[in-house]
Amino acid sequence: MNLPTIISAKGRGNLAAWLLWGLAAAFVAYTFVAGGYLIAVLHFACIYTVFVTGLNIFMGFTGQVSFGHNAFAAIGGYTSAVLTATYGWDPLTAGVLGLAGALLCALIIGYPVLRLRGHYLAMATLAIGLIVYEVAVQWDSVTHGYMGISGIPPLGIGRFTVTSDRGILIFLMIVAGLALLSAAGIRRSRLGRAFVAAAGSEDAARALGIDVARYKLIAFMISAAYAAIAGSLFVHAVGFVSPEVFGLPMVVLSFTMLYVGGIGTVGGPALGAIIISVLPESFRTFKDYQDLAYGAALIVILIYAPRGLASLPELWAKWRRRAA
Amino acid sequence: MFDLVAQSILSGIGVGAIYGLIGIGFCVIYNASGIVNFAQGAFVMLGGMLTHAGMTKLGLPLPLAAIGAIAIVALSGVALERIVVRPLWNRGSTMFVMILATLAAQIVVERLTLIAAGDQPRTLPVFTDLPPLRVFGFAINFQFLWIVGCSAIVIAGLALFFSSTKTGKAMRACSINRDAAALQGIPVSRMLALAFALSAGLGAVAGILITPTQYTAFNVGVPFAISGFIAAIVGGFGRPLGAFMGGILLGVAQALAIVFLGAAFKNVAALSILLLFLFVRPTGLLGSAK
Repeated sequence: MNLPTIISAKGRGNLAAWLLWGLAAAFVAYTFVAGGYLIAVLHFACIYTVFVTGLNIFMGFTGQVSFGHNAFAAIGGYTSAVLTATYGWDPLTAGVLGLAGALLCALIIGYPVLRLRGHYLAMATLAIGLIVYEVAVQWDSVTHGYMGISGIPPLGIGRFTVTSDRGILIFLMIVAGLALLSAAGIRRSRLGRAFVAAAGSEDAARALGIDVARYKLIAFMISAAYAAIAGSLFVHAVGFVSPEVFGLPMVVLSFTMLYVGGIGTVGGPALGAIIISVLPESFRTFKDYQDLAYGAALIVILIYAPRGLASLPELWAKWRRRAA
Repeated sequence: MFDLVAQSILSGIGVGAIYGLIGIGFCVIYNASGIVNFAQGAFVMLGGMLTHAGMTKLGLPLPLAAIGAIAIVALSGVALERIVVRPLWNRGSTMFVMILATLAAQIVVERLTLIAAGDQPRTLPVFTDLPPLRVFGFAINFQFLWIVGCSAIVIAGLALFFSSTKTGKAMRACSINRDAAALQGIPVSRMLALAFALSAGLGAVAGILITPTQYTAFNVGVPFAISGFIAAIVGGFGRPLGAFMGGILLGVAQALAIVFLGAAFKNVAALSILLLFLFVRPTGLLGSAK
């Protein structure tokens, strides 16, 4: 009997999704033309799209838990910052080395950590994020502790550098687009199907001949790579890095984006990143209120709309039924 | 050197007892519900901050301010359970969603405290302002005695509560089998609220006891929660007494790391112990509770 409701809810859901995407695209276009402070907000959204896409591969596709991906962003970001600002390396070479470092760390850490499950896995990954944060604070001679590293050169290859705000935005949008496309490619590939199988039931996946432990490790490393790239992009786009950049609020923020956009969907991270970056800016609130708002928003979403914006039409239909 | 080591082991025991109390808070909620409450650190922070506020803003004497703070924090534990945990619990959310929600609650409490009280670190006066005792050449300050004494009383009280009151037995029944407990007429959901109140109160006690020797600020919660969690893991998750022993072990290990490696390695040492236990012996020293 409730079939028509479901269908109409679904139809409206697609409509709502298209509407949101349209709004997001319109906003990007407007910002691009108008310029100003909002461009920095979009830089932020693009970088977080990359980071959250990585998280989505590990958590949405593969069904694992990581509270410590800020560690890999910190490794990538700090490697880029130190090598370019202190030693005058080329940003691309530095970034690739940061990526390699993050992958190596993910391999070494992932091997023992991914055997854990449930709250043990959650706490172990949280601990890794905190250890890297602690190292960034304490390794004063390299990271300058809380003071951070400033004067990081802009992105570029050789003599060709991107310095204008719009130029950086175009570059970051291309990277974010590539991140989304590659995630879509992974999702459709044999690899992605293995991830989803492991998320559904590890035992069933094993029975089908999938080496679950290996695929979990691969998913972990892929997501660490996205995180490291996001970290490198961040330090070059902002020109400054300090341990606070990769602290615990980063974890909560990225989870909020992931849940708002819809965990497990390919495009969700981009939508979540844009919405969550733009909303607080439009209120022009202080930093303290921002983290408060992210935390509170995350709780509300988890309770009332666990599948993010995708579950809005269902909520709407439910509310209509109750009202009727 | 020997004196220094012995002295820091002593102070490590004091800090470790605090970790133990926080660890017990984790166990109480976990046993009643299977939930790991990542907002546990918020209670510790609130305990110290509210006591300070009671003394400076309302001019209350320390004991009154402390009791008031413990009561308010216990109530906030119930509020956390009602507002955040209960809706998710009723929907049968996954463990991960529960962890994420409590972690978000931790951030919310932290930021609210920052907005209400600012980022200035606060401290409390020592409970007994006398020069330290000298025993065999070791200095034992009175705050250490307060910490160890209060922890012992709290643990004895908890043991009595769980073994001989009807409510305590009902909570234990819930931890063994929730469905069977419900069939016996035990109000399981009320037990969950009670577990959060108890756990929050424990956290507040820990926060009040430790504040005179260190300081408190809006952001001390997460490190304390991590230490308490490590204590609970080392003790075998879900065993209150094991958590207390784990806390003391962790406190001593941290104190030794400070002596031999430098103060910068305090947290790294603690987190390394956590990872070591998770990898090598995830069931803890005493084995799993279940």
